[in-house]
Formats: sequence, structure tokens, C-alpha cells
Amino acid sequence: MRQPSAGEALASALSAEYAAIYAYGRIGVRLTGAARDAARQAEAAHRRRRDALVVQLTTGGGVVPPDRAGYALPFPVTDRASALRLAAEMEERTAAHWRAALASTTGADRDQALAALVEYAVRATRWRKTAGSTPLTVPFPGRPT
Amino acid sequence: MVLTWPVGIGRTTQRDQTSGHSRRKLLSAGALLVLGGAVTPLTGCDLFDRDDQPAPPPDPLRPMVDESLALAAAYRASATAHPELADRLNPIAETHTAHATELARVIGVTLPSPASAAPTTAPAADPNSARAGLRALEKTAQQSATAACAAAPAERAALLGSIVAARATHQEALK
Repeated sequence: MRQPSAGEALASALSAEYAAIYAYGRIGVRLTGAARDAARQAEAAHRRRRDALVVQLTTGGGVVPPDRAGYALPFPVTDRASALRLAAEMEERTAAHWRAALASTTGADRDQALAALVEYAVRATRWRKTAGSTPLTVPFPGRPT
Repeated sequence: MVLTWPVGIGRTTQRDQTSGHSRRKLLSAGALLVLGGAVTPLTGCDLFDRDDQPAPPPDPLRPMVDESLALAAAYRASATAHPELADRLNPIAETHTAHATELARVIGVTLPSPASAAPTTAPAADPNSARAGLRALEKTAQQSATAACAAAPAERAALLGSIVAARATHQEALK
């Protein structure tokens, strides 16, 4: 399989960030208290990365994929438990896109991809902890299963 | 431009080493050609083999195999000393063994026996200190994996990134 270019890999990470931001809109309303605050912080982190990517891709002359009005969620969010499960799932999914970008990048771009992968993997672990689910970690965060 | 990539320090070093090696080879090849007419090839080879064909340098990921096995051993030792933590620690020990297995496969070596990776220090007597000790080990290991990921060729970067992330999540899980 052809190795995607750095621009393609980052564009794919951007699409994943759009979807995560959309999902957190559905997640936040099912949570209360500290979990709701955590969801708000997580969503803000995804928005920051989205904004940075839009700037980076635009400046670099790359293709900026458009955001969409809605994204298909892997399962319906109906209560706190499903909201926490989706939050962990969205972190793992965005982590996977940043992991994929590692191979296409070097230097500062790879550092940035690794920082995102680590941050999202850790946050997925936190969501599992909040949900009381085990195991808290996966052996190869971001690796397609 | 944002999408230009400064070359990492580790990378530069690696490339230099490689090109240094090629240069030596090239020079020796030239020398052999020059000598070719006058000296018998056998003498030439003997002369140059000693200097020019060192054992291949060890794979830069080789230490990470041992590091992963040592981490697995440290978790198992803590789980034995504190059975109440075993449910939490054993899955992480298995993850480190899985990392070692995958790294060994990638660099093409046989996985050393786990027994060879005895933990260097005994786990702390109280469970909280034992967890703190493991967290400290993970933090150091995360740093070494981060450096390895930054310096790695494309085909190894994703695996190393997952190992960095796993070590970070273990610190979170131990809190």
C-alpha cells in the first residue's frame, strides 16, 4: 500500500477531529459534574487540534477537508454509560489517525502527531476509569484491530 | 512553510553513521582496485577485511526489547509482592511482553527468555510505593521510546508511537 503523504495523513487526522468534536456534543449532554467538565476539556483539546491543522494545511497548500453537518456514531448515546463508552471510543479513533500520521511525518510534524496520540490514548484510559470498565489500557494504542 | 520537516537529531546521527560506513567501504573498494594489479586479491582481502567489515551495528531498537522485558518483570515482581494489585498489574505486564515480542519480530531477533530480565530492584514494601516505583519506571521508559520514535524510519514509527502511548497510559492506570 502506498504511504500517504504528510498532507494526506494530516487531512485524515483533521476529519477525525471533526468527528470527535461532533461526538463530544452528544456525549456532554449525557454527563454531569466532573465527567461533564472532562468532556468539555476533551472537546476543547480536539477543537484546538482542529484549528491548528486547518492553519497548517492551509499554509502548506494542502487540501483542507470540509467539516460535515453530522457524523455517524458507532452506537447510539442514550445515557451516561454509553456516553462514557463513546468518549473512550472517540479518543481511540482519533489516536489511530494520529498514529497513522507518524509514518508519513518526520521532525516537528512527527512530534506533533506523537503528542496527539499520547494525549488521546491517556484520555481514553481516563474515560474507562470514569466508566469503571476494565482493562483500563490497550496494548497498542491507536493500532487498528 | 509548516510542512517542511527539520531533521531530528537522532536521524542525523544515524544517517551520518550510515554514510560514514559507505564512505569507508567506497574508499576501501577504491584502494582494492588500485592495489589489484600489484597485490594478489587474497592478500588484499585479508588486509582490508579486518578493518572494513566490522560486525553490523546492533539494531537501535534492541535495547527496547530488553527494556520491555525488564518492565514486564518489574510488574510481575510487584504483583507477587502485592497480590491485591495483581489484577491491575498483570495485564500491564502482558502488554510489555507483547511489546518485546513485537519489537523482536521487527528487528529479527529471537525474544530473550523472560527469566533473563530480572528486575534490578525489589518492589517497595507498601503497595502505594510499589505503584509509584512502577510509574517512575514507565515515565523513564516513555522518554526512551519517544526518542526512538522520533529517530525511527517510517515503517517503525507507528509501532514505536503505540509503545510510547501505552507507557503513558500505564502511568495513568497506576494513579
